[in-house]
Amino acid sequence: MLISYNWLRELTGTKLTPLELRERLTMVGLAIDSVEEIAGDSVLDVEVPSNRPDCLSHVGIAREVSVIEKSTVKSPESKAFATEGKASDFATVEINDPDLCPRYAARIVRGVKIGASPEWLTTRLAEIGQRSINNVADITNYVLHELGQPLHAFDLNKLTERRIIVRRAAAAEKLTTLDGVERALDEDMLVIADAVQPVALAGIMGGLDSEISSSTTDVLIESAYFDPDSVRRTARRLGMDTEASRRFERGADCENVLLAQTRCVELICELAGGVATEEAIDVYPNPLAAKVVSFRPARVASLTSVRVDPSEIKRILAALGFVEQTGGEDKITFVVPSWRIDVNLEEDLVEEVVRHVGYDRITSELPPSNFAGAYQPAEMKRRALGRALTSSGFDEAISFSFIDVAHDEQFELLPALRRNAGTPAVALANPIIDEAIRMRPTLLPGLLESVRHNFNHGNRDVRLFEIGRVFASSGTRELPEEREALALIATGSAREEGSVQSARDTDFLEFKGAFEAAIDAMRLQSLTFSKAAVKHLRDGQAAVVSLSDGTAIGTMGRLAESLASNYKFRQPVYVAELDLTALLASSEQPIQYAPLPRYPSVTRDVTLLIDREVSFAELAQFISDEATAECTGVKLVGVYEGPNIPANQRSITLRMEYRSDERTLRDDEVEAQHRVLLDATLAQFKAALH
Amino acid sequence: MPQDQTPEDPRAQVESARDAFEREFERFAALTAESAGLKSPDDPEVLLRDVSEFRTKHLGKKSVLAASKKLIGKVSPEERAAFGQLVQQIESDIVEKIERTEQSLRARVESLRTAREAVDVTLPGRRPHRGHLHPITVVRQRIEDIFVSLGYAIEDGREIETDFFNFDALNIPDNHPARATQDTFYTTDGYALRSQTSTVQIHAMQRRGAPLRMIAPGRVFRRDTPDPTHNPMFFQVEGLCVDRGITMAHLKGTVAEFLRRMFGERTVTRFRPSYFPFTEPSAEFDFSCFKCGGSGCRICKNSGWIELGGSGMVHPNVLRGVGVDPEEFSGFAFGLGIDRMVALMYGLDDIRLLFENDIRFLSQFD
Repeated sequence: MLISYNWLRELTGTKLTPLELRERLTMVGLAIDSVEEIAGDSVLDVEVPSNRPDCLSHVGIAREVSVIEKSTVKSPESKAFATEGKASDFATVEINDPDLCPRYAARIVRGVKIGASPEWLTTRLAEIGQRSINNVADITNYVLHELGQPLHAFDLNKLTERRIIVRRAAAAEKLTTLDGVERALDEDMLVIADAVQPVALAGIMGGLDSEISSSTTDVLIESAYFDPDSVRRTARRLGMDTEASRRFERGADCENVLLAQTRCVELICELAGGVATEEAIDVYPNPLAAKVVSFRPARVASLTSVRVDPSEIKRILAALGFVEQTGGEDKITFVVPSWRIDVNLEEDLVEEVVRHVGYDRITSELPPSNFAGAYQPAEMKRRALGRALTSSGFDEAISFSFIDVAHDEQFELLPALRRNAGTPAVALANPIIDEAIRMRPTLLPGLLESVRHNFNHGNRDVRLFEIGRVFASSGTRELPEEREALALIATGSAREEGSVQSARDTDFLEFKGAFEAAIDAMRLQSLTFSKAAVKHLRDGQAAVVSLSDGTAIGTMGRLAESLASNYKFRQPVYVAELDLTALLASSEQPIQYAPLPRYPSVTRDVTLLIDREVSFAELAQFISDEATAECTGVKLVGVYEGPNIPANQRSITLRMEYRSDERTLRDDEVEAQHRVLLDATLAQFKAALH
Repeated sequence: MPQDQTPEDPRAQVESARDAFEREFERFAALTAESAGLKSPDDPEVLLRDVSEFRTKHLGKKSVLAASKKLIGKVSPEERAAFGQLVQQIESDIVEKIERTEQSLRARVESLRTAREAVDVTLPGRRPHRGHLHPITVVRQRIEDIFVSLGYAIEDGREIETDFFNFDALNIPDNHPARATQDTFYTTDGYALRSQTSTVQIHAMQRRGAPLRMIAPGRVFRRDTPDPTHNPMFFQVEGLCVDRGITMAHLKGTVAEFLRRMFGERTVTRFRPSYFPFTEPSAEFDFSCFKCGGSGCRICKNSGWIELGGSGMVHPNVLRGVGVDPEEFSGFAFGLGIDRMVALMYGLDDIRLLFENDIRFLSQFD
């Protein structure tokens, strides 16, 4: 809100310069965004907190300045004006909906001459960003910025039967507002109507038909108090935001109604001529009760640590308009001024005192130390995971949690999110990015989009991981399912830092290795991989990832061709997604020392020619089940398939290690058990030695 | 007449062995004196081999000298000592010369080899490609480390919440603009995407009661259209300390300590009155610009201060709502944007980059 320094000085006689005011007002909670100098004046842009509508005027700011400077706010200079007749002789006012309009006052000025405003008025309005319209409209606007009370001037003779009826609009009623827009009203909206139709949107904007024009001679000045929620609702629904609505919806001062109206009438008589009625028609059936707050001065110190002299406390509160009702050493009761809609509790008064004493008076100290800090239970696991992934060349990504509907049905979701089959994904009722209405049930679309982004910028070697929440509807109207997921994506080659030479291209096994190494770094469970058909993965290069108890918690493999072509990816892309919540719930594998071998081991390499359908896992499992206790390890040396080998077979070379903890094994002892193991393996898989 | 007759004169035989050695040694002797003629490291290696053969020839079992030694016994006893001495003298001369030559050649070989294996130490090292944590993670971890050391527990909770936890429990009035659908995201089932992590504080207070010290870093959502300074999703950290006798001085001390650890020992913190529904009194805090130290620069928009977050004493309605008696306990709370800290610390002028995952961007951080 813009404040004229000269105007403020008229009200306060301030001795502070605009820049000093900027500093002082900021430190009492009215931040000044800018101070602009314009022809003989300075304009301060005040950021008024949303709970302080009383500061949305020059008098409001002046009150704060007067507390700062220990001065008093001067009333605007008023001049006597001619009055004649009762307002009720010229118009009537009825409030049909007092819940939305507790108070409505109308006063009439007859015989005005509509014309241009004097220069002082147009200049002052221009300084605070207000356009001049005509003298009467300008005066209502001026008083609004002076006293904070929105006012409206009707052309009295355009009000049918000179009646003012404050009521809810009828269904399908219409009103063309001052801005020329025809507004369709509904029964929740409060209007000011004459005998036949709405003539203003209550507290927001007047109607075009009853507007002041050059032929206007008699004006009705409205000064009222409207319910904040009602004004806010109507303004939102109609997409309107006016100087009046901004004040009413935050809370105007019900007791300021007549004062502001009198000020307005006085200026009209002075600047536009005319004779005012002796008083207003003031309909205020149920006066709002003043709030009373009881206050223990000791609370100031107990909440803020600042010791303030009781007389200073009283001075500050009195200067802000709080009236001491019952006094005492320990407890004082204050009547809250009608304009302070924000003050309801003792704590509010503590703030009033301390912000004027100065927050800089509060000392700075750490609270007594009697707590032990603690990370989230799995934080160290997550950090180990991040370290392992970054050392494998993966950058950490963070993507928006909302994704395009186009991704529905494209991905196989984590098992935990598939429990309620057929339930829709979580959707946003009010998205901000077009099409991004889904709360992501998978991290993969975000990573794929990031790969595309990097491809578009010429980077074809991309390795990313992301840790984040994924969502699925609970299937009922309960809160949605939330899981933490880990996803990896890799394409192109793993490079050396700062070199143009690329290392070898990422392939399935290299990607799997990086994935396993990262999971192992958490020292939880090792994952098992089994062949599977996965919707978003290419057949034959897809695996389901499970915990050792067989619970499936994710998938990994090469991106399916159909998806790759959607993104125009021409090089292989590998993706993995895993339910981190499930993995982190599994127990930590403790490190247990094993004695170093005391006797040498003997190794035997063996190459098997075996059916391609036999998986390495099956083979390894069989061998480890069959092996003697002295066979201490089976490791893969290599796999070959291609020329010189039948198409339905492959050769697998294994290295078996034999060792005893009691003695050095003799060659013939090793040979005997190796032979048995080998024969059993060959027979089991109908394999041959190669 | 002396009975023993020597077929040959032993002395002459030894002398001739020495002469033969000296003759052949000449070419090696020249080498030791001036070995610079050797260019390729192969040359001295060939020579070393020659020297080794030469040694065998003159000192080996079949050498003349070896034969001469056998004569010692045959020389007359009166001459034997002198002859023995002569043989030994000649042998040690030969050994010494050959060894000196060998040593010098070896040194030469070594220095040539060293020269050949010299590395241009200014060539770039072969570094394995390392990935990078997201700057938001880096800053979040730093914040967590600081607060854990100050005795705080780290907590997190749901990202999709009920209105109760997102608004009601925080004393946000029904008509507060933050509740409007233009500011807060809602699911079609009417749940809110949390617009602040204070939701976590409410859960923690319900679960753990007072006293309590915690911070809640996490993802939050507000309906802002993306632009250089806004995103509809960002990261926040909110802190809460509830105990007997907690005052605003503790709030100031804690925030100031945190900012000093984050931005350096000389960081000064300033508190200004402000308004938040969940605190009373409320304060916004600024810190002295870490770039210019307060004299004014682009980062602090020439004010010397950088606005960072909101704070205050926990509103009594919030405490009562979670069953904590505001007459017995008081507490402070504060909140600040992690994305904003990232932008400040790294001089980032467009925060939309944070969620594009461009590797040229990501690789600039830790």
